[in-house]
Amino acid sequence: MALAGITVGAALGVVLIPNILRAALFLGLTLVGVAGLFVLMNAPFLAAVQIMIYVGAITTMIILAIFLSHRVMKIGFGQAIYNPILAAAAAGVMFLFLFITVVNSVWINDPRNIIAAGPANQDIGVEAISKALLQPYVFPFELASVVLLAVLVGAVVIAKEDPRDA
Amino acid sequence: MHSAYGIPIWWFLTVGAMLFCIGLFGMMIRRSAIGMLLSIELMLNAANINFVAFGSYMKLPTIAGQVFTIFVITLAAAEAAIGLAIVINIYRLEQHIDADKISAMKM
Repeated sequence: MALAGITVGAALGVVLIPNILRAALFLGLTLVGVAGLFVLMNAPFLAAVQIMIYVGAITTMIILAIFLSHRVMKIGFGQAIYNPILAAAAAGVMFLFLFITVVNSVWINDPRNIIAAGPANQDIGVEAISKALLQPYVFPFELASVVLLAVLVGAVVIAKEDPRDA
Repeated sequence: MHSAYGIPIWWFLTVGAMLFCIGLFGMMIRRSAIGMLLSIELMLNAANINFVAFGSYMKLPTIAGQVFTIFVITLAAAEAAIGLAIVINIYRLEQHIDADKISAMKM
């Protein structure tokens, strides 16, 4: 419960705090909270991956980008001109809809499908995950590596200084 | 076979729904492109929570939820890298990253 409170509270911080650097730091806190939720759901490997990749890499990268475009922090930087109350209402309606769907769902509340008491103690070690990655899911795995290569090249090309300007 | 925590699944799904809606809200009210990227990360994490929750609460033992979460994390990293590269490029060209004022795809 406390973990969920931290996660959701920090997420609110991400969207509500005008200073984008602080918002990014709150994003880090949210991601740590999500990692804690992964542990509760019996997925410790994913928690480690979450902390290493999300908190360690993605948050750092975002903060670096904020520093590189640092004038953004100074110019009050846009909480928007749009109606925030309308946006909050839309998000709230969406949440209510999702919550009612979850609580009323026949499939989720059927004990034949979902274990009511808690997460199953199945084989969740790294070994099981790696076997799943390399046997049934080997095609998406290879596809992901191709995508990563393309992203690596693409990010360098996009962020590179235009030779005409230099 | 059950763990000791005894947290029902709808609880995790509710947290996921909350995170998603907060991300949606942030997406709607932010104007700076980096703020929008932050909101996208929130929504992706909501999806991850749901994947892992269903994966570990299923009666049939399955690892698919965790495997798909790994793919989502991979693609989120890729998306953040490309998005931030674009943001830096736009900032270099226009000295701001206000998503409302960016209209050109080719400078």
